[in-house]
Amino acid sequence: MLASRLPPHSRALHPFGEAAALLGLAGPEEAQALAASLVADQAPWLLGAVPGLQSLLVEFAPLRTDAAGVESDLLARLASLPAETPARGRQRTIPVAYGGDFGPDLEEVARLTGRSTDDVVRLHAAGELRVLFDGFAPGFAYLGDLPKQLRVPRLATPRTRTPRGSVAIAGAMSGIYPADLPGGWRVIGRTPIELFDPLRDPPAYLVPGDTLRFEPIAAADWDRYMGEPADW
Amino acid sequence: MTLEVVEPGPLTTVQAPGGRPGWQRFGVPVGGAADPWSARLANRLVGNADDAPLLEATLAGPTLRFDSATLVAIAGAAWRATLDGLPFPANHARPVRAGATLRVGTGAGARAYVAVAGLVVQSVLGSPSTDLRTGFGGQDGRALRAGDRLQIAAQPGHPMRWLGRPAASGPIRIVPGPHASWFAPDALTGTAWRVGEAADRAGVRLEGEHVRPGRDTEIASIGLPLGAIQVPPDGRPIVMLADRPVTGGYPVPACVIRADAGRVAQLRSGDELRLASVSMEEAIEALRQAEADLEDLEPFSLTSDDELGWIGSHG
Repeated sequence: MLASRLPPHSRALHPFGEAAALLGLAGPEEAQALAASLVADQAPWLLGAVPGLQSLLVEFAPLRTDAAGVESDLLARLASLPAETPARGRQRTIPVAYGGDFGPDLEEVARLTGRSTDDVVRLHAAGELRVLFDGFAPGFAYLGDLPKQLRVPRLATPRTRTPRGSVAIAGAMSGIYPADLPGGWRVIGRTPIELFDPLRDPPAYLVPGDTLRFEPIAAADWDRYMGEPADW
Repeated sequence: MTLEVVEPGPLTTVQAPGGRPGWQRFGVPVGGAADPWSARLANRLVGNADDAPLLEATLAGPTLRFDSATLVAIAGAAWRATLDGLPFPANHARPVRAGATLRVGTGAGARAYVAVAGLVVQSVLGSPSTDLRTGFGGQDGRALRAGDRLQIAAQPGHPMRWLGRPAASGPIRIVPGPHASWFAPDALTGTAWRVGEAADRAGVRLEGEHVRPGRDTEIASIGLPLGAIQVPPDGRPIVMLADRPVTGGYPVPACVIRADAGRVAQLRSGDELRLASVSMEEAIEALRQAEADLEDLEPFSLTSDDELGWIGSHG
């Protein structure tokens, strides 16, 4: 189920239209570090930087910027990135009401993994996950890695609407839908907390480098957790 | 000073042409005008900055009432429009008097831009653009409704008109994406396409022959630039537009060139199109030409022959 790497190999720059390029990288830490370097130094050609799982998308103005210059700048920065792992982010706890109406795919995930629903919840909430990168939608964090016993494929037919707060899994990753969104991941629970606030900086509660645990809560306790977390 | 939305049309939102860049690493889409070139033209016609907020109307336009005199221009889709009952031409700024009513109708094309000199909309995360999906920016994060009032600041300006020609016809031009080698060279260009029902500010789905990658149907999520053509497992390509998700997990064989991204945003469900490959150099030259076309403006005075003819023929 793990998605494949970019062709042909890492650390190569792939053209992506005339105004962008995609650099294949070893993993999300390298992508985040390179993006942070570009933003901190305000690289003069940079219009946008989007770190992914194993890549960094950079955007530039092709009438002012030569793609070859972008490539040499990126490769020079990559060579000079510090080797040590980046500082750990904050530790977060995400309350989740599992199953029932909040987790319509929990039973199916149990069937696919050959476990009880209780086991699935225990496995999902047992380990510490890391925010690999934010993407897809405002405040949506890609969380990894799930234990091997919990890895299931995406839905064959994505939902046109996955409710706000839905906690879902697909492959090695988990994620939480910050708003009502279309989605193809399997929903096993729902959190009452808010994950995105455009009036805050940063606007996302979960940012790359943060670590988190899911904490099972009773649906009856939902209201106690609603709103923005106190430790935003 | 305000403009009042008398009738909003099917989907009219506040957008800035350039959207909300710089927040993608928190998952926030760039957004902004779906046809940024036309939006910039509309702003220039009324003397606004290129990236000033304006109204993007979808499939049909709004009816707006102005409580003070200002300048207004419409660009993008050339729809029928009237100002106090008189025809209002596209690509020409016009003064409107206090109490005037602008009715924007419909016609060919999917999106028209109504620029108002001095329109003021508060920025959220650096932009007045509306993010409809998450619900922030613009007018309370939603489409305009009847009764909404938007602020207009006094802004002395001179009406401009555009002397250029309408956008190029012919195929939508594409250049390679990162997974071009996974697909047959003519997978996108060897066939005719029709715009599917799924056509909105996020993207336009193309219906036709199914496209299959020679390799994996899913990839490790990557950032998606404007115009990226994603191919999901169902084989129906999607051209990504302003409100595209920041990242996507499907292979991208090609990317629509910047100069043609706005043309894709002007397509309606059911429209037919073809795609044609061009070189990077041709893509950059097309962008240079598009920027030059945007300069093709001239001021005109209210007593010019053009204006007298306009009044004379309808007044």
